[in-house]
Formats: sequence, C-alpha cells, structure tokens
Amino acid sequence: MNIDEKLQGWLKSHLTLEDVLPTQMPVYVNSMAYFFGTMTLSALMVVIGSGIIIAIFGPGWWHVSPTGHFFNSVHFWGVEVFYFGLVLHLLAKFFKAAWRDGRWRTWVIGLVTFAVTIFSGITGTLLQQNWDAQWNAVQGKDPMNALGLAWINAMDPGQLLTLHVALLPFLIVLFAAIHIGIVRSESPVRPIERSRKEEVR
Amino acid sequence: MSKRSEAYLSGVPMERYDMIREGLIVLSVVTLVIVLLAAFFGTPDYPTVTAKEVATKQPLLFLDRSLSYFSGQSGLQTYGPPYTKDDQNAQAVFGFISPARWVGVVSPVNAQQDLAMKPLERIAVLNPEVATALAAYKQASPDQQQNWIKNYAVALKKATDDNGKVILAQGDYGPVAGLMNGMLKLARAGLLERALDSSALLPYDLNNTKSLLFLEGPIENRVAQHLNELGSQWGMTNEMGPYPGAWWLWPYAFLYQLPGIVNSPNADLITGLIMAAAFFILIFLPVIPGLNRIPYLIPVYRLIWRDWYRRSKD
Ligand code: HEM
Repeated sequence: MNIDEKLQGWLKSHLTLEDVLPTQMPVYVNSMAYFFGTMTLSALMVVIGSGIIIAIFGPGWWHVSPTGHFFNSVHFWGVEVFYFGLVLHLLAKFFKAAWRDGRWRTWVIGLVTFAVTIFSGITGTLLQQNWDAQWNAVQGKDPMNALGLAWINAMDPGQLLTLHVALLPFLIVLFAAIHIGIVRSESPVRPIERSRKEEVR
Repeated sequence: MSKRSEAYLSGVPMERYDMIREGLIVLSVVTLVIVLLAAFFGTPDYPTVTAKEVATKQPLLFLDRSLSYFSGQSGLQTYGPPYTKDDQNAQAVFGFISPARWVGVVSPVNAQQDLAMKPLERIAVLNPEVATALAAYKQASPDQQQNWIKNYAVALKKATDDNGKVILAQGDYGPVAGLMNGMLKLARAGLLERALDSSALLPYDLNNTKSLLFLEGPIENRVAQHLNELGSQWGMTNEMGPYPGAWWLWPYAFLYQLPGIVNSPNADLITGLIMAAAFFILIFLPVIPGLNRIPYLIPVYRLIWRDWYRRSKD
C-alpha cells in the first residue's frame, strides 16, 4: 500500500483544489443566509489576532497601556460581533434545514465549536484581573462546582490562562477548520424542494 | 470538484465565483466595524475590590466576614465538594444526581484555618499583641472560645464606625477583639490577599482561590448590586455599566429569573442540566420528529432561496 497514493485518492474524491478554492458556486448560493458563516469566521480571525497581540505583552498590559486597552477592546468587541454572526448563522442554517442530505455532521461540529467558544468566553472574562473577573469568578464557581467541573477552578488564573490562550483556541480553530472543510467537501446543501418526499434528512 | 460534490450538484447551474476575494471583503468590513466599536466604546475596566479597601471603608462589614471565618460558622465551612468533605450541601437533583459529590474535594479549603488562623499566625510574628491574644485563645476551652465569639458577634452588630475607627461597647471578648483587630490591620496594610494565597508553590503560585473566596458573599454582593450585576439582575450576561457582555448566555441567565429555580438550593445544577439538555436537543434536532419540521412550517427558506424558486418556476 502506498500511503501517498491513498491520500491522493481520498483528496480527489473528497477535497479537490476546486473545493478548497472554488471558482464557481451553485446559483442558489446568492443570499444573506450564506454571509453569516463568513462573518463569524472573520470575527474569529480578529479575535485571535487581537488575542495574540495581548498574549505577547501579557495579561496585565492592557490595564496600564492605552494601546493595550485598545487591543483589549478589539478583542472584546470582536467576540460580540462573533456571537452576533454565530447566532444569525445558526438561525440561517436552521431555517434552511441545512442538515439535509447527510449534512448532520456539519451541524454537530458547528454546535460543538459553539460549545467550546462558551468556555473560551468564560475563561477570558475570568482573566481580566478587574472587578468583572473577580465577581464572575466567585459567581461562576458555584455552577461549575455543581456541574462537576470543579477541576476547572474559576479562581485559579494560572489554569484559566493556559486554557484560554492555548487549549481552547486550538480546539476552536481545529473544529472550525473541520466544519468548513466538510462544507467545502460536500458543497452547499440544495434548496428545499417542495415535493415533500425528499425533504427530511 | 470532489466526486461527491459533482454528483450532488449535477444539473444545478453554476456561477463564476471567487471565494477568497469575497472572504477578504467580508473580513475587511468586519474588522473595520470591530475597530470602530472598540475605538468608540472601549471596554470596562472597573478595579477589583480589595481587602484593604473594604477594611478601610467598611470595617464593620470586614470584621463581620473575618469573624464568620474565624468562628467556623461561615457558609464556606460546610460548602461541600470541591472545598470540604461533608457533602450534605452539595447540589443534587432527585437526590442521586450530584456531579459535585462524584468529583469530590479537588480544591480543599478549611475556611477557619485557611482564611483566619493562618493569616493570624502570620500577623503574630509581626505583632506581639496578636501573638499573645492568639496564644490565649488557643489555650482556652472550646466553650470559652465560643462564648467570646458570641459576645463579640453581638457587640459587633451594634458597633459603630467613626471614620474608620471601630467603636465597640465594653464586653467579655477575651482575645477575640484583639485578633479581629489584627485581621483588620493586616488587610489595611494590603497584605491579606497574599497572606491567604501562600502555598507550597510560593513565590510562583498562580492560584487565587482563597483570597477570592474571602471577599465573596455580602461584601461583593453590595458592589455587584450597585453595578447591576447580581444573578437576579441578569448579571452574567452583561459586563458592568452599559456594556453588553455574554448576551448569548441569555437563555441561561433567564432560567435564574424563574422563582421556582432560583429559590432552590440546587439552582445551579438545575439550570446547568437544563442547558445541557437543550444543547443535546439542538445537536439531535435534525432527527427529532416535529422539531426538524419547523423550517418547513415557518418557510423562511422560501425567502432565502427566492431566486432559485423563481428560476425553477420559469
Ligand atoms: C465557530 C463557529 C462557526 C464558524 C466559524 C462557522 C463557519 C461556517 C462557514 C464559513 C460556512 C460556509 C458559509 C455559510 O454557509 O455560511 C458554514 C456552513 C455551515 N455551518 Fe457553520 N460555523 C460555525 C458554527 C456553526 C453552528 C453553531 C452551526 C449550527 C448548529 C453551523 C452550521 C452550519 C451548516 C449546517 C453549514 C452548511 C451550510 C450549507 O450546506 O449551505 N455552523 N459555517
């Protein structure tokens, strides 16, 4: 068995260059309902970019430097826009029943990504070293404890920092890449046809 | 295109497209919007509440908290896992679903020892009065200790704060008044938090559990209420002030507004389980009969693909 040959074969049937960098789209892909995924992805890029800048200078930086404060604000508003896009994206896909024709995986991985981002948001909030972090740490610990998540200690910034800047973003980027990879591989789901037969799944 | 896409799209007319160009345009616009929002609105950065500040501005409140830890009567003393072994206060539903119990004590905290005795022992090194008081307290019988604490607690309720000086009626407090004064001084010196968090990892400890726990409860609730951030005020979905926060947690915060839930001692577990269930419903929605028909019953899709339907009609 030639592994490279196998992989080539797999790529040819699952993800060709035309899938990765498409030069044509089905004509039905021409509405706002396709915009929000790209918007979410763009906001995610801004969040990661500003996060990298803050990470270079350390978590205390933005409290003492106006430049740092600006990048923290970009990070914060990036997250707001990210979720704005994400909620609209989810609604758009829901109303398109975009899980049809075997696209359930895309739906599930999208939601799993969403779930991981929630923990990103929480750990980020708790890292701010200001009142909001202090208050949310003691508030947030009770649900975490009750749900058996006490091994993630909302009052241990060392643990939160590593989760927030390393593990969680890694998972988010990985899942988002798989999500979009599958979308490109399977191509956008066809419009719902009014003949009732093929509607479900 | 991949073979399966080719099969899937057979018969569908295609249009010229440039994904990267479109992506870059969206990225530029989104970046611009975010930068403008950041530049105009910034971010809230309200300073932390420190023990120093509380001990200086609200000494009675501070002493009340210190006494509750010192006396072993604080809620934290019987919190249950992950802090203490006794688990009658661990949240549970139907009696047996109790993830907190399953996980156990992963972050042990003995409030009396960790939040009162240990800092007092540190103060004793610097302050001979506190050293004498601490020795006297330790030598006394448990009954005697409780008596002093009780007398002091009653007097503290009627004590007044004269510009930071605590005025307490004469009474039989034994060494307790001196010890509590020691805590007050340590906090006013700005040393309390570090005295609490010291662990075997000093000076590298990155964990603030104990100092954060010390100020939770009545002290921080006052600040939070003032800033509109209590749980009953949808606190978790907003940052302080007019800033939006995690508004996407709105459904979660909503559950905390329901009296039936928020008044339960198991509120956090109940809301958490409801959210977990909701998440699984979302995951399986495509195969849940009824729910997966909603997009057909509320035909937003006709709007989304209106050009396509018009085209196929022609
Ligand atoms: C980090 C979060 C996410 C990112 C960055 C993201 C990104 C994208 C992008 C760029 C696309 C292709 C463009 C489009 O159709 O809009 C897409 C498609 C899709 N997304 Fe997401 N998404 C995320 C989360 C979700 C969630 C939470 C769901 C639903 C539960 C979801 C469901 C889908 C579906 C079903 C498609 C395929 C649409 C089709 O076949 O036409 N995604 N996503």
